Order: sequence, then C-alpha cells, then structure tokens
Amino acid sequence: MRELAALQARFGSALDAHEAEAGALQIFIGSAAQIRNRFGIYRGNTRANATKAIEAAYPIVAKIVGAEFFTGLAAQYRSRFPSQDGNLNEYGESFAAFLADFPPARELPYLADVARLEWQVHRAHYAADPAPFDPAQLAALSPEQQLRLRPWLHPACRILHSAYPVAQLWEVHQDAFSGEFEVDFSGGPAHALVFRPQFRVEVAQIGDAEAAFLAAALDGATLESALAAALSLDASFALGRSLNEWVESSVIVDLKLDGG
Amino acid sequence: MNPLNAPESSAAVRGVGIGLRAAHYREFLDSRPRADWLEVHSENYFGDGGYDLHVLEHVRGHYPVSLHGVALSLGSANGVREGHLAKLKRLVHRIEPALVSEHLCWAALGARHFNDLLPLPYTRGALDQVVAHVTLVQETLRRRILIENVSSYLQFRASEIPEFVFLAELAKRSGCGILLDVNNLFVNSVNHGFDPIEALREIPREAVGEIHLAGHSAAGDLLIDDHGSRVVPQVWSLYEVACRQLGQVPALIEWDTAIPPLDMLLDEAATAARLSQAEYA
Repeated sequence: MRELAALQARFGSALDAHEAEAGALQIFIGSAAQIRNRFGIYRGNTRANATKAIEAAYPIVAKIVGAEFFTGLAAQYRSRFPSQDGNLNEYGESFAAFLADFPPARELPYLADVARLEWQVHRAHYAADPAPFDPAQLAALSPEQQLRLRPWLHPACRILHSAYPVAQLWEVHQDAFSGEFEVDFSGGPAHALVFRPQFRVEVAQIGDAEAAFLAAALDGATLESALAAALSLDASFALGRSLNEWVESSVIVDLKLDGG
Repeated sequence: MNPLNAPESSAAVRGVGIGLRAAHYREFLDSRPRADWLEVHSENYFGDGGYDLHVLEHVRGHYPVSLHGVALSLGSANGVREGHLAKLKRLVHRIEPALVSEHLCWAALGARHFNDLLPLPYTRGALDQVVAHVTLVQETLRRRILIENVSSYLQFRASEIPEFVFLAELAKRSGCGILLDVNNLFVNSVNHGFDPIEALREIPREAVGEIHLAGHSAAGDLLIDDHGSRVVPQVWSLYEVACRQLGQVPALIEWDTAIPPLDMLLDEAATAARLSQAEYA
C-alpha cells in the first residue's frame, strides 16, 4: 500500500510539474524517449480536461478576451488553482478571484465581475428544482397576513452587485444576441439578477429597489420588511407588479406563512 | 448486507445501448429513438436539479439506464472520497439505474484530482486496496457494480500480474462484475504488445455484465482512446471473439468527442447487434 502511494505521488507530481518528470520516468517500462512521449499524453489529457471545464463555465469571459488570451488565462489558472474535484462541473470557482489578481487582465477592470456572474450562471444550471407553486392559494389570506408572508427565491437565484453593468455585458455577448452591440457604462454601479425559469438560466439587470427587495427575501425577510427595504431606495417601487413578474419568471417560487 | 444478494437488475439491460450525451438530449425528449438502453456519465448528474437531471429522469421512464462513473478513483492509495461516493449514492437512489459502473484506475492524490483515468500498477498490494474500495462502494450503494478495464499508454515496472488477471481477481474477491471495454483491450494490446485474444481468456465469463465499444485514433505507434470515431474493423473482430466466449452480454456504443448525429451512433449499435446475433445464433 505504501508502494502504491509512492508510485502515485511520483506520477502525480510529474503530471503537474515538468521538473518532477525525471523522477517519475523510472517507474515505467520502456525507453526514456518513449516514456516521455507517452507520459505527455496523460499530462495533455489532464490539462485539456481542466481547460474544457473552464471554457464551459466562462464562455463570455472567453468571448471578451478572445480565444488565444483565454487559453493563456486558463493555463495560468490551472497551475495556480489545480482541480480538486472529480466532478469538473465544480472546477473554476476561483477564476474571478484569479482574474482580479492577474496583472495582464487589469486592462479590462470589469472582467473579474463578469467571471463572478458567469460562475453564478454556471451553478444555477445545477441548482435544485422548486416544487410547483400556486399563488391563488394566498387569496384567502387577509392583507395583514399577506404582509407577513416570506417570499422564497428559486434556489438558482443570485443577485450580484458590481461597479460595472455586467448583466448588459453578459447579454450582448450571447451567441443568440441580435440587438445593438452597446453597453452603457455611464449608469454607475449595477445589479445583476441570475434566475432560471424552467431550465434555462437567464440574467437581467435590476434596479436598486428590486435588488434590495430580493436580497432581503434571500435573507428570509417578510414581504413587509423586504418592501420597506425597497421603498427606502425608491418610493415608486410597485410591489404588486414586481411580485407578478417574479412569480411568472420563477424568481419567487413560494410565499410562506411562518409555521405554515 | 452482502451486495451479491442485492436485487440484480442488470437483467433489465439487453441488446445494444448508446451513451447519452447532451448533444442528443432534444431527440430523446421529443421522440423515442430506437436504442435498447442508455448510459450516462454519473458525475454530469451530481447537481441538485436542473436540465441534465430533468432529461435523465425523463429517459429513465422509457429506457433502462446505466450510470457510468469516471471519477471515483477506486485505485487511489488515499482511498475513496466520501463526498463523491455520497453524491453517487444520492444519484443511484434518485435514478434507480439498471447498472452502475466505474473504472479500474486512479485520479485523486491527496486534495488534487487529475480528472483522467490513470493506470494502476498491477501489484498484489494494489489489488488489496482496490478490493477494499470496491467493497466499500458496493456496501454503500447496496448493490453490485461493474469495473471497466481502461486503455493505457504506460506500464509500471512494479506490475506483478497481467491486467486481466488483476481484474478477474478483483471480481472474484469483491464480488463486482466486469465491464469489458473491447476497444480498450485492443488499444492496450497494440500499445503494450500483447495478444488480446489470450487476455480475453483470463476473463471469467460469468463476471462480465457489460461490453463497451468505441473508436480510437492513432498517433505514430500509439493508439489513443479518444471515443471520437467509429469502431474500427479490428475491434469489431475482437468483439465477435468476445461474444463467442462470453455469450449474451449487453453492449454499448460510446462516443465522447466530435459527437456525430444520433443516427450514426444508432448505426454503430445496429452493427454491434448484428454481429452479436450472428455469434449467438
């Protein structure tokens, strides 16, 4: 058993670091040239699989920086944050932090926030499915009871705050986007909402009041206190219209009375 | 509970199946393509919910489904990761698959995971380890699993026994079944220079629960197992030999890179069905 551990330690270090290769070659059968060539296939596979996972999670970052630069980013990321999970859908969580800290990416100050958004989009794909919800059942409640309801967000929902309009950046870089390629950077900080009506993950830019309401709801607030949070930022926030829209688009998937 | 006494559901899997990949989801949601059964990579369905699981739960109502894991790393000296096994258990509970399988390989080293099917040294010590890990998995899942021979490009000096003797011993000692990948057997016979038909003779007929067929590519004197093309004639011939030796075993067409239209997979499956029927007849 100790022998197996030792062989795997040598194999593994040589996969991650060329300088460890010489120490690993002796554990295999064949000529040094043949082993080096064949070992390269394993190194190539493990790198290609990690790169594919990063490409799958961050298609918009890839579009913004271009394929060549992105390949370089992925290679740097792989060596600083090697994969630790057998499920490659879990790989890439630290990409935004890596970008924020990576000097060659600083020319695009919004890139790390786009990556942060893309990770939430990626995770939203695998989030749990909510149980069906019929808002009609709430009609029997008194207005006082209704204000005490707690809105439940779809498990895929996330709200991101950024100094940049990341939801717009995300939208104009979609393959299917056919509108004008225009992003308004003059609006200042913006909120992006990640949501998943049915099985397709979507992103929308939302206002301060909407973001305050949904963030409060994510924290478990009642309608009354989430509404107060929204109104404090925008006195014209219309609860009824927003609720309808959010229930329709599966942002809010339940309204629960305490203890019920 | 002895996993061998668990309800054996592999009887539900017959004929030739295909690997279900995302590129063909739509066709399986909209219609019912003529595949005998379907196999998916377990890890792609480890999420809490979402589209992939939705599709899998839909197709399991119409086809026997096999969960084929690629990352449990049964050969790691570190042991099997509890979290990964727990996710597999949750998925098995959710899908109630006809078959569950994994590979004879390793990939995890400490906190690191290489996300590849790395070869093992075929030693007595490694065998003890893999037997213990397969036993743990079967006890956790409360069912028998199948273990697949992987393709490899390197052989360890430390190896003491041939790959297929190792696999046969593993099956005997842990009670697991064997998933015989005929393409991998062929690839290894070329890469390492041995007679694949002789290796087949080491395989206990009663242990084989599934056969895999796939394409590979050539790079100089080396064959690369990339699952990106049709099954080559030499692998079909070896499949015929396996059918003669093993009797009726469910087979699967795997295609993972440069995924073609579904019709081509079904066409490969039809070829496999024709060849196996000719051998049983």
